[in-house]
Amino acid sequence: MKKIMAALAVALGLATPLAAQDWPSGTVTIVVPYSPSGNTDIFARHMAPYLEEKWGQSVVIENRPGGGSMVGTALVSQAEPDGLTLLMTTSAYVTAPAIQPDLPFDPRTDLEPVANVGYVSYILVTQGDSKFNTLEEFVEDSKQNPKFAATAGLGTTTHFAIERFIAQSGANFDVVHFKGGGPAVVAILSGEADIYGSSVSSAGGNIASGKIKVLAVLGNERIAALPDVPSTKELGYPETEIHQWVGVFAPGGTDADIVAKINADINEVLRNEEFIATVTPLDWTLEQSTPEGFAAEIDQELTGWKELAESQGISR
Amino acid sequence: MDLLGSLALGLGVALTLQNLLYCFLGALLGTLVGVIPGLGVLAAISMLFPLTFHLEPTTALIMLAGIWYGTTYGGSTASILLNLPGTPANAVTCLDGYPMAKQGRGGIALFMTTVASFFGASFGIILLTLFTPVIAEYALRFGSAEYFALMLMGLVASSTISEGSAIKGLAAVTMGIIIGLVGMDTQTATIRFTFGNLGLLEGISLIALAMGIFGVAEIIMSIRRVHAADIDPESVKLKAIVPTRDDVGRSWFPMLRGASIGSFFGTLPGTGPSIAAFISYAIEKRVSKSPERFGNGAIEGIMGPESANNAADQTAFIPTLSLGVPGSATMALMLGVLMIHGVAPGPNLISDEPELFWGLIMSFWVGNIILLLLNIPLIGVWVRMLTIPYHLLYPAVLMFICLGAFTSGFSALNIWMVAGFGALGYAMRIFRFPGAPLLLGFVLGPLMEEHFRRAMVLARGDFAVFFERPISAVIMAITGLVLIWGVWSSEHLRAKRGARALEREAARRAAHHPEQEAPDGQN
Repeated sequence: MKKIMAALAVALGLATPLAAQDWPSGTVTIVVPYSPSGNTDIFARHMAPYLEEKWGQSVVIENRPGGGSMVGTALVSQAEPDGLTLLMTTSAYVTAPAIQPDLPFDPRTDLEPVANVGYVSYILVTQGDSKFNTLEEFVEDSKQNPKFAATAGLGTTTHFAIERFIAQSGANFDVVHFKGGGPAVVAILSGEADIYGSSVSSAGGNIASGKIKVLAVLGNERIAALPDVPSTKELGYPETEIHQWVGVFAPGGTDADIVAKINADINEVLRNEEFIATVTPLDWTLEQSTPEGFAAEIDQELTGWKELAESQGISR
Repeated sequence: MDLLGSLALGLGVALTLQNLLYCFLGALLGTLVGVIPGLGVLAAISMLFPLTFHLEPTTALIMLAGIWYGTTYGGSTASILLNLPGTPANAVTCLDGYPMAKQGRGGIALFMTTVASFFGASFGIILLTLFTPVIAEYALRFGSAEYFALMLMGLVASSTISEGSAIKGLAAVTMGIIIGLVGMDTQTATIRFTFGNLGLLEGISLIALAMGIFGVAEIIMSIRRVHAADIDPESVKLKAIVPTRDDVGRSWFPMLRGASIGSFFGTLPGTGPSIAAFISYAIEKRVSKSPERFGNGAIEGIMGPESANNAADQTAFIPTLSLGVPGSATMALMLGVLMIHGVAPGPNLISDEPELFWGLIMSFWVGNIILLLLNIPLIGVWVRMLTIPYHLLYPAVLMFICLGAFTSGFSALNIWMVAGFGALGYAMRIFRFPGAPLLLGFVLGPLMEEHFRRAMVLARGDFAVFFERPISAVIMAITGLVLIWGVWSSEHLRAKRGARALEREAARRAAHHPEQEAPDGQN
C-alpha cells in the first residue's frame, strides 16, 4: 500500500519538493544492531521520546543483533530510502568492514551518514569477586593462566580495543564473541569470560553493586564518571586509547533534505539540557555534526582501520 | 524486592485498563479456539502474533498467554458434548466426559471440568511464582555449554516424546533447524542459503512459518474431516449443573494429583499439557478402587486430566521466563514476542523487567478468574458456537492469516511463504510428521548454533566440554536416555499398533462394517 501511494505521488510530480516537509509520514523505526541493554540500545531508548515529541510520530527501537552488528546494518542498507527506517550503530560500522570482506553492502555508498551523536570510553572490567585488584596483576597472571576476553561481536570496536590492548601489553587473552554489550556483561557476571572492554552504560548498576570490578579506563585520561579508576596510559600502556562513537544512518539514496532535517532534529535533542543530564552519568561526550562532516570521518576511518587490521594481523 | 512487593507491583500492572482488556480478549479468544475442534492454540497464536507488534510487550504476552491457557478451558466443551477433543490436551476428557453427557450429566461435567481447570491453574501459578525467580538466580551458573545441552534436550524431548513416530519427530526438528539456517549467520554475518534473494537476508519469517505449518495446513486438513456437529439436545440440557455430594467427594484427590502431575510435566521440555493429561488419566485409573467405571462416565477421569493440563499450561512458563529456553512450540512463539519487542529473555529478565514478569504472572490470576466467569454462566453460548458451519468459519480464518502475514512486514514474499509452508504442513500431516518440533527447531536452531560455537571457543575446541561440566553432563545424559527411550518406545508401539490394525482390518472385513475415522490431535 505504501509503495502504491509513493508511486502515485511520484507520478503526480509531488514527491521531491514535499518529501522533507511531509516527513515523517508514519512510524519511524530505528534499528539497533545489538541486543537490548547494551550501550547503543540504552542511548537509542533515551533519545526516542525526544524525537517522538519533535516528529509527532511513534519512534520504535528495533533490536537486530548478530554478526557483530553487521546483520542489522545490512538490513537497513536494503530498506526503503524513505527516512522511516534508520540505523543507530557504533564505530563497528567502520571497524567490521576491515575484517569482514564479504559484507552484503558497501559502507561507503549503501548507507547515508546522518549524524554523529557522540562517543563513550571503554573500561576494562572483570568479576566483582575476582582475586585481581589491578590490571598489572591480571595481565601478569594471564601469561601463566590464559584468560578469555569477551567482545560485543566480531569486528566491533570492543573487539579492536581488546586486540590492541593485547598487542600492547603482551597479555594472553583468547577472544570470545557475544551478541552485543548486554550478553557480554552477563558473561562476565557468570564467570564465563574473564575480562571485557565495556562502556560504562553496558556495565550499568553492576559497578555500583560490586558485581563488576573496573580495572582501568582504556585511554590517556581518567573519565569523570569513574574518577578513581586509573587510565591505561598511567599504567604504562601508552597507545591503547580508543573511543566508541555512535551514529545515525539512513538507507543509501535517502532524499538529502530529509537527511538534513533528521540531522538538525537530532542535534537539537543533543543540545537539550534534560537529555544531556540523563546521559552524562553514562560517560557520554555528545557532539554536534553535519552529514557531510560525518561522511568524511567515516571515509577516513574505513581506510584507517583496514590498515590497522592488516598491520596487526587482526582477522576473523 | 520482596515477594509481596513484587506481587503488588505485578497486580498493579495486570489491573491497568488496557491489560485487563487484552487479558479478557485473550481468554475469550482462547475459549473460542478451544471450543471449536480442529482449530488449535498454535494456529490461533500464530495468527494473532502480528497484531501484538503494536502493543506493549507486557500487554502482548498477557493476551497470547490468555489464549494459551484459555484453549485448555474451552477444549473440554467439545470433548464432553461431541466426543471430539477441542485441543489435543483435552483428548482424554472425551473418554469419560462424553459418557457423562450421554447419561444427561453433561452440565455437571462442564461445570466440574471448569472447577478442575481453575484448581490446576491456580496450583501451577503458585509454583510458577515461587520457583521462577529461584531458577533464574541459579541460571547465572549456566554457560554456553549448559545452554547448548539444555536446548538439545528440549529438541530431542519434544520430537521423541510427542505422539507418533520419534524418528519422524527428529526429522521434523532437523528440518526446522535447516530452515532456521537461511539468512545471515549470527557470528560472522556470512550469508547462507538465500540464493541471492535479498528478502531472505533476515531469514525465514517466523510468522509465515507458524501460520503456514499450523494455520493453513490445519484448515486444508479439516476440509475432509470435520463437519458441523449435531448436538444431542438431551446431553446439553443444563438444568443439572450442580454436582452431587458424591461427585464432589470423588473429585478432590484426582484434582490434587492432576495438578501435581501437570505442574511437573509442564516444566519439562517436550511434554506439556497433552502428555500430562494422559498420564493423569492413567494414574487415576490405576489408583481407583473401581477402575471398571472409567470409560463409562467416571468423574475422576475428567477431573484429574483437566486439572493436569491447566497446571501444565502455567508451569510451561517456568523455563521460558527463567532461562529463556522454551519447552514447546507455543512457548517459542512467546519468546519470539519478547525478542521482537527488544526484551532479552534470559536469567536477567526478572531483574531487568520486573513489571513485565510480575505483571504477566498476576495476569494469569486475572485471566483464570475471567475464564471461570466465561465458562460457567456463559456455557450455553459456547455450546452454540459448535454449530457454526465450517464453510463460513474457515475461509474467514484463511483471510485473516493472509492479512496477518502481509502486514507483519508489508511484504508479499511473506504470503508466498505462508502458502509454501501451508503446503509443507499439509504434506507433513498426511505423512504424519509432527509440526511442533519443526517450529521449535526453527527457533532454537540459531540459538543453539551460537552457544555451540561459543562453547567450542571457550573449551579451546574440545568436544568433551559438554560432558565434563557437571550441569551440562547431567543434561546430556538425560538427553541420551530420552532419545533411546523415545525411539525405542515409539517403534515398539508402532509394531504393536500395526499388529492391532491388522486384527481390526480382519474383523472389519468379517463384519462388512465401515470403520469410523478417529479424531486426530493436531499438535
